[in-house]
Amino acid sequence: MMLIAGPLLVLWLAGLALAILDGRRRAVGVGAVVAVAVAFALQAVLLGRVLADGPQELVAGGWAADVGIRLRVDALGAVFAVLSSGIVVASLAQAVATGVRSRALPALVVFLTLGLTGLFLTGDVFSFYVFFELAMIAAYALTAAAGTAREVSAAFLFAIVNLVGSFLFLIGIALLYRATGTLEMVAVAEAAGRLEATTAILIAITFFVAFGTKLGLFPFHFWLPTLYATASPPVAAIFAGALANIGAYGLLRFGGAMLPQELALSANALIVIGSVSIAYGAIQAIGRRDTREVLAYSSIGHVGYILVALGIGGPVGLAAAVAFSIANSLNKALLFLSSELRGRLTAAIFLVGVLSVAGVPPTAGFFGKAALFDAGVRAEDWITVALLFVGGALSFVYVFQIYQHDRWRPREEREREMPRTPAGTGQRLAAGAVALVVLVLGLWPQPLLAAGRDAAEAIVTARGDG
Amino acid sequence: MNLVFALAIGIVFGAGVYLLLQADLLRVVTGLALIANAASLTLMASGLSRGQSPILPLPGDDEPVSDPLVQAMTLTAIVIGFATTALLLALTVVLYRRRHSVDLDDLSREEAAASARDEEEEPALDTWSEMALADDAEGPAG
Repeated sequence: MMLIAGPLLVLWLAGLALAILDGRRRAVGVGAVVAVAVAFALQAVLLGRVLADGPQELVAGGWAADVGIRLRVDALGAVFAVLSSGIVVASLAQAVATGVRSRALPALVVFLTLGLTGLFLTGDVFSFYVFFELAMIAAYALTAAAGTAREVSAAFLFAIVNLVGSFLFLIGIALLYRATGTLEMVAVAEAAGRLEATTAILIAITFFVAFGTKLGLFPFHFWLPTLYATASPPVAAIFAGALANIGAYGLLRFGGAMLPQELALSANALIVIGSVSIAYGAIQAIGRRDTREVLAYSSIGHVGYILVALGIGGPVGLAAAVAFSIANSLNKALLFLSSELRGRLTAAIFLVGVLSVAGVPPTAGFFGKAALFDAGVRAEDWITVALLFVGGALSFVYVFQIYQHDRWRPREEREREMPRTPAGTGQRLAAGAVALVVLVLGLWPQPLLAAGRDAAEAIVTARGDG
Repeated sequence: MNLVFALAIGIVFGAGVYLLLQADLLRVVTGLALIANAASLTLMASGLSRGQSPILPLPGDDEPVSDPLVQAMTLTAIVIGFATTALLLALTVVLYRRRHSVDLDDLSREEAAASARDEEEEPALDTWSEMALADDAEGPAG
């Protein structure tokens, strides 16, 4: 079907063409934005089709169904694909409006989007790994693209830590293949129920470490603050808003859909690790002054919520995990995109992000957190509910600290950290578009909650035991 | 055969982790390449089966075919490992050109020195709020 192959083909061809052109020229940057926007539009149509007609499939190369590599899109994959490529469109548009200074940036962002799109749309465990690695290698190169010593050493740390995670993931795939004899996600989910408990839990732990590293979860987080503080705001927005979705999606797909028994078995461990992550991220964020560092630690804290929701489990917990992931990536992208823009309008845009992270209505963040509370209350897990409340209060403190620090000090003091000139129209439009999405989802949360519910349903039906 | 593979993977992975913990960046990159190879070996080991070569058309159909999928996966994994090693080496070269060292201790010392220089050039933060505090301390008369 053309709708599945379409975005991948557009991005691949555009990436190849852009790689040989000089990305500093405006036309090349605009070309990259157009390519990613076309892919985004195709995926939005695909999402509509998936929601109306159920999962869509395509066997690559016209091979027989059990021989060829299968692309399979269900509601979970389509929701994450649309979310991630939408955030990349806004971030890349802002990068181009700000002015691209490194030659390879547009092509690398297009390749990163190709990897992301591919891994959300594939139905095969090994091609998931290939697309995952494609997105990650583009991200390492993107971090180093400016070429100063500080950026290159941040890229080195980022690459080393995450590559160890990727190779562990690859070893996990080998174990999974050995144990189940298949690589197709649907067939793996069916076979996983019959596995020996020790084998299955070993495989599940390998995957958990791999995706935990990717998400920047508490004990695997140490590479993340350096990276987010070093990258330019649009690139940091791509990392926090789109690339980090790999971890959330991976945990939902591999834990929720493929190894559900092991996920249920480790529920308490997940809630504990998630809680530690929430507490660590929030306390570190309160102690920091630099806006991007605060946001980096806040990201560490917020992935803890996703883990807690996974630990609560069941359709309600999974739906909350998806809804919160969507709200969280929009928030982080919005805050990074508007963090270094000057002017009254951009201060308002930044404030929308601040309110959304704090979970104040009418913003998407409110409904993300409300879904978590709902899941906690329904599971009657009062410790988790209390923890969510404390975590929410702490995030309220640190986001208003950075708002005050960046916008409420005398002009001459702020100017040392903020740019001296007011933001350009393109920069504002990109950040404003994301802010608008956050506000609209806050006023009309039906799509957000329905996306969570449909994705959770896709996870539950994908399970072998039904 | 399984034991041989298990031992080989264990030794290669262990050597990789040992190198990864060294301060010399080239050793770190080599260590990561070894870990990549341990992953490739694990992939090969996950589909060890005897049989005729999986090339169509098969000469006799009574004998089972050995598993071709792991070999395809290993080939892909080797290519990806090659790409990541090349990227890491390129990063090492750039770092060496900027800082004239590939030793992590030297690099972090220079990093600290550079950020200390930046801080010295910057006037102290929050002078305004510190002044405000001084005013308060002087009391309402000030």
